Amino acid sequence: MTGNRAAANRDWIRDLHDALGYPLTSNARLLVTAVVTGATYVVLVLSSFPQFSVQVLATDPTDVGYAVTALTREVYLTTGYLGLALVAAYAVLTGIAVTNALALVQRARRRSASTIVGVLPGLLAAGCASCGAGVLGALGLVGAMAALPFDGNLLRIGGIGLLLFFLGRAGDPRTCSLNGAGGA
Amino acid sequence: MDEEGNITRRRALIAGGAVLVFGGGVAYIGSRSDASGQHYVPDTTHAGSGTTGFDVDLDGRPIAGKRDAPVDIYYWTDYLCPFCKQFETETLPELGRKFLDTGDARLAVLPYPNIGAYSMPAAVWGRCVWSQVAESNPDAFWNWHSAAFAEQADSGTDWADEATFAAVTEQTDGVDRSAVETCREERSSSIRARIEPNVGVARESRIMGTPGFVLYNRDSGAAGKLVGAHPYENFAEAIEKVMEA
Repeated sequence: MTGNRAAANRDWIRDLHDALGYPLTSNARLLVTAVVTGATYVVLVLSSFPQFSVQVLATDPTDVGYAVTALTREVYLTTGYLGLALVAAYAVLTGIAVTNALALVQRARRRSASTIVGVLPGLLAAGCASCGAGVLGALGLVGAMAALPFDGNLLRIGGIGLLLFFLGRAGDPRTCSLNGAGGA
Repeated sequence: MDEEGNITRRRALIAGGAVLVFGGGVAYIGSRSDASGQHYVPDTTHAGSGTTGFDVDLDGRPIAGKRDAPVDIYYWTDYLCPFCKQFETETLPELGRKFLDTGDARLAVLPYPNIGAYSMPAAVWGRCVWSQVAESNPDAFWNWHSAAFAEQADSGTDWADEATFAAVTEQTDGVDRSAVETCREERSSSIRARIEPNVGVARESRIMGTPGFVLYNRDSGAAGKLVGAHPYENFAEAIEKVMEA
């Protein structure tokens, strides 16, 4: 049992490595990852104080830079470098997860619907990323975040953990996940 | 020929560089300190009286600006809130010069303790300092108020404690610390009780964080809401809109 678990862990780490490296396999994938990372960061930071963000953008959409800058500083002042690093890491992982999920969807389209189980972990990774952003937004009122354990950093760590878990489950989106554990 | 499908050294370097620039940029924006750091003391300050048409209890509250100004700005704040400090240092000075000192609007400071464990005690300190100087030297309240915000540390709320607020009180000219301490001992619970109803008004207006503002035209009853440290232009636009409504 312990041996199986160790092997599964090794597989997961290898698959995670493959998943994280996938955006580096073409210029277009790298670009998609960069754009999604940037967009996710903006959404995450703006969702840390949604009322303020909505008002600023409704008054003048060109003030988005002001809002992102002001709230980046707010996240740092409330949660320190750790909080800021977690938000940035969340954005990068979301960029990778969405790029990989796009590849999985394309693959699934070319094949039959039976591959959906293999595609699932990758989609969950992307879904988890966007859901995580939503959760952060819903709870993202400055006061509410401050009331959460470690000023909300625990929630962010949980989101990042889920992202890594599902990215590791999906592996490189170009390969089939026919290992023993998945039953795919 | 660009090894499509493989991880190339060039792409790995670009990605690594982009991650470094992204992380460095975020860290730089987050940790740079405010260069402006201005400090506003209104030309006139008065103690409020009665409850307004918007249901805000102004009795004895510190209000910047003239008593008969047509627009009320209810400003819910917390001494532990970094975003409030940004409003105080970057927006309030210009807002004060162009709307409060001119008699167009008045700004009532209302506590909304919501950031940390010391938010409520900090609000009580503020109220007791105001009680002590309201009649004799209202400018001292604004000096204390700015000094309290200036104490905010680079991150977190651990800086806020008894010793810090005692030191700010001690060092502010015109504020008698022993009188403030007496007020804290004797009136703390009644001050806390009086903070709640006004926080309730903010919540009813769906202000869920600080700083929060309601702009209220006392003649027409028109009201607007701003949440967060908006740039000065947004305040100016909102005040003018409420004035004309």
